[in-house]
Amino acid sequence: MTIINKELCNGCKICNKFCTVDAIHYLAEEKKCYIDQDRCTECYVCLRQKVCPRGAIQPIELDSFYKQFQHVISDPVESHGVTGVSGRGTEEVKTNDVSGRVIKGEVGVAIDMGRPGMGVFLRDAEKVAMAIAAVGAELAPQEHTPLAALMTDLKTGKLEEACHGYHLLSVIVEAKCKEEELKQVLEALQKVQYEIDTVFSLGLIIRTDEKGQTKVLETLDQLGIPQPHRGKVNVGLGRPLSLA
Amino acid sequence: MTHSLHRSGPIESQKKDFNWFMYQTQNVNDVNIKPKALEFIAAAEAVGSENWGDVKSGPRTQYKTEEIIDRITDKSRIRGVFTKREQVVEFLKIMKEKDTGLSVVITGVLSEVLPACEEAEVTPHSINYSLGVWGKKDNLPDDTTLSITTMCGHHMIPPKYVEYMMDQVKKGRLTADEAAIKLANFCYCGIYNHVRCSDIISKTVSEAAEKEVASTKE
Repeated sequence: MTIINKELCNGCKICNKFCTVDAIHYLAEEKKCYIDQDRCTECYVCLRQKVCPRGAIQPIELDSFYKQFQHVISDPVESHGVTGVSGRGTEEVKTNDVSGRVIKGEVGVAIDMGRPGMGVFLRDAEKVAMAIAAVGAELAPQEHTPLAALMTDLKTGKLEEACHGYHLLSVIVEAKCKEEELKQVLEALQKVQYEIDTVFSLGLIIRTDEKGQTKVLETLDQLGIPQPHRGKVNVGLGRPLSLA
Repeated sequence: MTHSLHRSGPIESQKKDFNWFMYQTQNVNDVNIKPKALEFIAAAEAVGSENWGDVKSGPRTQYKTEEIIDRITDKSRIRGVFTKREQVVEFLKIMKEKDTGLSVVITGVLSEVLPACEEAEVTPHSINYSLGVWGKKDNLPDDTTLSITTMCGHHMIPPKYVEYMMDQVKKGRLTADEAAIKLANFCYCGIYNHVRCSDIISKTVSEAAEKEVASTKE
């Protein structure tokens, strides 16, 4: 946990502009700053940037599995223990030419919960995971994506209740489905987006033809979703190359 | 992680914004990474990559090349920025020839990236397509702030700090380039495009100044 030591804080408010989720505030009655512990994501930006000239911002031991999870996922400098990947601990498209996680006929779904910059309570990540699992999306296991470590049932996407109140800078709900199931997965996301108290950025991972094209994206037109103009292109130079 | 995918702002501005990545696959080709990483760095520097880094060490805007290289391990993730399509083409040509066996990824506007792949004679294998932002968007920062903060996809850049940097430039205490470097240093990966950031700050500050002059005349 990150705190502001009241003995050292002189209320200068410099730190207020260094919080990624606006969780540092000034308490006029005490003339001191404090960190809203419910919103703090343990991203450690305020610590790493050494913003307090008096050293009042201090880390305290992350004394539970959930606090450690919150920090590891919110701070990209850390590597996730199981997947071994830094950032938010997932591989998605970046090594798909070697891993072959998403093969022809499938669509990978990467839902960046809390992004851009709003953060996400895990209860909202659960709502989204459960919504897509209910229509047949296959949620990624914990060997592939950190959030699965908190799921009591990978088939439903339900998370351990004790984690619901933890706020993360971002976490990825990762899944895949058959191409023919994409429409119902997107429809589920269109619905659940109004049931959460945050945002998400959505990515679809698809094996493409040699021109980088795919017919699957026609599904977007049926649902009134604009065609994408940005993409993260794996150019197929990894070895051994997955042809699946 | 999809930290380079969901950048925002006008398309024309995004067309001057590419990211390159080197990726090892766990338990397949994830050992003895340093010599391969050096090939990526050499290729990127040869074509003038504006910024690059390793999340374990920090960005080139903040650390010297040697410092980052010294700290490369098998866990390193080397990645960076290009501002022109021609750089992407040349980089891909070099990496194809070097044949390191590691995955190579380019993020950007598809109408720029896909022709670059064709010109470099590499074949896209998979694409992660951005479908943008969904959900409760009312509390998001304004579009200009987002175009700056989303260049660090891990969202290490606080919106209030962007506001502060804009104000410092407006008051003449920092140049747009200086402010952009300060913002880039929050992004440890090295994928922050400080050149585009400086352009956005300059444009925003000058437009605000013009508006002020116009309102004074009224």
